[in-house]
Amino acid sequence: MNSYSFIFISLLAGAIAGLILASVNYFVAEPYIDQAIGIEIENTIAAGETVDFNELNTYRVWQKEGTFVAGAFLGVTYGAVLGIVYVIARKYLPSSDDRKKALILAGLICLALYVVPFLKYPANPPAVGDPETIGLRESLYTSFQLISGLIVLGLSVLLIKFKSVNNFKYLIPVFYVGLIGFIYSIFPANPDAITAPMDLVNSFRIATFTTMVMFYIVLGIIFGMMWRKYRPHETTRLTAS
Amino acid sequence: MSFVNDLRIIHKDQAPKLAIALLGVIAIISIYIVGYDQGQLFSLVQGNQAYDAMWIHEFTHDIRHAAGFPCH
Ligand SMILES: [Zn+2]
Repeated sequence: MNSYSFIFISLLAGAIAGLILASVNYFVAEPYIDQAIGIEIENTIAAGETVDFNELNTYRVWQKEGTFVAGAFLGVTYGAVLGIVYVIARKYLPSSDDRKKALILAGLICLALYVVPFLKYPANPPAVGDPETIGLRESLYTSFQLISGLIVLGLSVLLIKFKSVNNFKYLIPVFYVGLIGFIYSIFPANPDAITAPMDLVNSFRIATFTTMVMFYIVLGIIFGMMWRKYRPHETTRLTAS
Repeated sequence: MSFVNDLRIIHKDQAPKLAIALLGVIAIISIYIVGYDQGQLFSLVQGNQAYDAMWIHEFTHDIRHAAGFPCH
């Protein structure tokens, strides 16, 4: 096992996928964010408060440029998660091709950490959230993400352990849907009322959902290609033979 | 000779614990920056002023919304 190339692959694949995400979002998601911020400004003015447009423009420039740095950080996070799970789960993943293995695992992580939490707590553009509830919303989202991830992890371990039991694998989807349905029903809803136009909120959700799923696919592809090229798992096998 | 081979084969199967730990730490720090910071990180050097400026929040703001994290 070559730890250096393993770390390098995870972080670099993540950073590249994150930069691609930020670039795509610059065209796909930013228009909706701009629109939502426009609504916020109108609301502020309607409420009788003054708006400092100079300051606001400076903020928007930071926010748009910052997206690329932040996208790389986001990518590094999920690249590291993918790397950690991959190095442990590699031998259990179907297919003998690292590119397919990585893509399958990235898909599972996307389902567990993004798609399922999105069903319960869909993304919102600016102008929706109430700053007062940010702490609550963060803890709800994060715990939902973690539990959703643990369910996939737990069921995968069961699947591997009871591989020899006949037809057991057909039970796994049933367990999965049941458990997800259970946490979906016991978690409280997002406390914020949506005050922005529903059209805008829905377009924002569709746009960001598409780009995030794309991000995980791109991450899986880049990670798999790099793993196949650098083969970090093989270093010791060469000396052992 | 077989003893040496056995050792190496055991070594081969070992998960790189240190590398995993390092990636874990990096993942937690970077997700905190992207998804959660509201000025806390800069307040370590900047004091309370950081909570008003929220530099990191501004920088990560758009991706935070786009990645589905709760925001303002
Ligand atoms: Zn926001």
